[in-house]
Amino acid sequence: MLNLLLIIGTLYVLALVYLTWIARDNDRSSANYLMAGSNVGSFLGLFTFAATLFSTFTILGMPDFFRVHGVGAWIFIAVSDMFMVFGILMVGYYVRRKIKESNTSYYGMAGFMQHCYRSRTAGIVVFLGAFLFLIPYVAIQIKGVVLFLDQAFPNKLPIWLWASLMLIIMVIYSELGGLKAIMYSDVLQGILLLLVIWVIGIVCLNRLGGVSQMFEQVHRVDESLLSVPGPKGLFDFQFLLGSLIGIVMIPFTQPQVSTRLVIMKSHHALYRTAVALGFFAILVILPTLFIGMYGAVHYENDSTADFLGKTLITDQLPLIGVLVLLGLIAAAMSTADSQIFGLGAEIRSLLKGEDHHALRSTRGAILIFAVICLVFSLFSPDELVLLARLSFTGTALLAPMIFLGIFSKDAARWSWMPWLTMLAILLFILSSFNIIPNKLGQIRTDLILLISLGGIAVIAGYGSGSRRVSGKSQGANF
Amino acid sequence: MTMRRKIWRLTIGLVLLLLLLTFTPFVIPMGAHHPHLFGIPYTMWMGFAEALILLALTYLGTKVHPGRDE
Repeated sequence: MLNLLLIIGTLYVLALVYLTWIARDNDRSSANYLMAGSNVGSFLGLFTFAATLFSTFTILGMPDFFRVHGVGAWIFIAVSDMFMVFGILMVGYYVRRKIKESNTSYYGMAGFMQHCYRSRTAGIVVFLGAFLFLIPYVAIQIKGVVLFLDQAFPNKLPIWLWASLMLIIMVIYSELGGLKAIMYSDVLQGILLLLVIWVIGIVCLNRLGGVSQMFEQVHRVDESLLSVPGPKGLFDFQFLLGSLIGIVMIPFTQPQVSTRLVIMKSHHALYRTAVALGFFAILVILPTLFIGMYGAVHYENDSTADFLGKTLITDQLPLIGVLVLLGLIAAAMSTADSQIFGLGAEIRSLLKGEDHHALRSTRGAILIFAVICLVFSLFSPDELVLLARLSFTGTALLAPMIFLGIFSKDAARWSWMPWLTMLAILLFILSSFNIIPNKLGQIRTDLILLISLGGIAVIAGYGSGSRRVSGKSQGANF
Repeated sequence: MTMRRKIWRLTIGLVLLLLLLTFTPFVIPMGAHHPHLFGIPYTMWMGFAEALILLALTYLGTKVHPGRDE
């Protein structure tokens, strides 16, 4: 099987090389390198959004979540994603308008908030928030795939070498081709992800005898898997609400997604992308239900690693097993490269001076972020879904500050908002490590922080007569 | 107010209504999985239906969004 992986993997790398080559451009400005010329249509938009959003978390995390916690996982991720898609439609327009009206060069939300609040602190808080919560997320994705590869091919390569190889390939095509190369590779990786997850999903569903039979068998194993809060009581009201808020805020708080929101060539292209993305989300998440339920029936008491190894590799034909491995690598790379690159763009947005020098520093920063992710991936814990949720929730704490900056005439009046956001991030981190209580009374600390910050932003905004960004059309393109 | 703007506001209202319903027993009845639909437990088929309705509302929203003509 290793030989098969090497052959198909080589073809895959060659395809990435080709995509990087066609993405190369003589125009090496920040606008072109970091923002792909801000001229992205809905087809490319769909795949780059999808490949960036749906990662290892989808292929490895979601089946295991369905297996362990039951059908509530659908509400946790699929329903939340649908609200997120509507949020892109509803708020994305105003974000784009505000950026256009500001007459500044947008490279990242950090720089834009620095502009809105006329405060360097605002930019630093946005960057720090993204950095603190994205690095562990990138690291855990790489680790998830690497552990899986190690299990599939024990003692072939050390874990650090698998991780380094992935990151080296990612950094090479990101550094050479910029965001365009990442987006072109996203198309390949998005299609591969969809193909792989459906092949496995259909195999699992067939083995269970169809949808109705599947739930009947799950019912016999553990009835509580068929309802919320699930066997371990995870999907309670607060967990689902906190997750939904975190996921809905992703397009505005996580740089790899907010960049894509801004670089669409028109509002119309963004709208079409939003609808297609919603459809893609259902298509991607549905087969993970089949895989998870298959696991609940056949591998109820197995560890996560054993369940995934058996279901995705051992129980499949060798060719499918190899495609799964490749799909996993693609899923991890397509999200991780965008996240690392997005952090680089945030750094660029904070830099002043000549574009050439700023871009050189940005490329250096991207390299440094990749190395940090590599080191972190070797030492991080391996609870994929819960770390992903930590990332959603952590970055969501930036949302009230970002929205206040976007929806108000003069955000500089609320110079305390970045400081308050920083305090909330600090409290969230302390509660995540149980240094302070993760519940106050019966309510989760993260939920209290999210709702408090949101409430303060709303009161500040409306209380001071802020207005929604509106106005007459100034043209469609950025 | 134009008809398009009214429909846009109605779309937002329906999405907010769905948001509220998501966290009520209407979508997530605690510990209950009946009634089944084609053998599918309640929260699953209701969640699936909700996802489809939200997708449809998003599509409708693209047709009536205030920034559609820009």
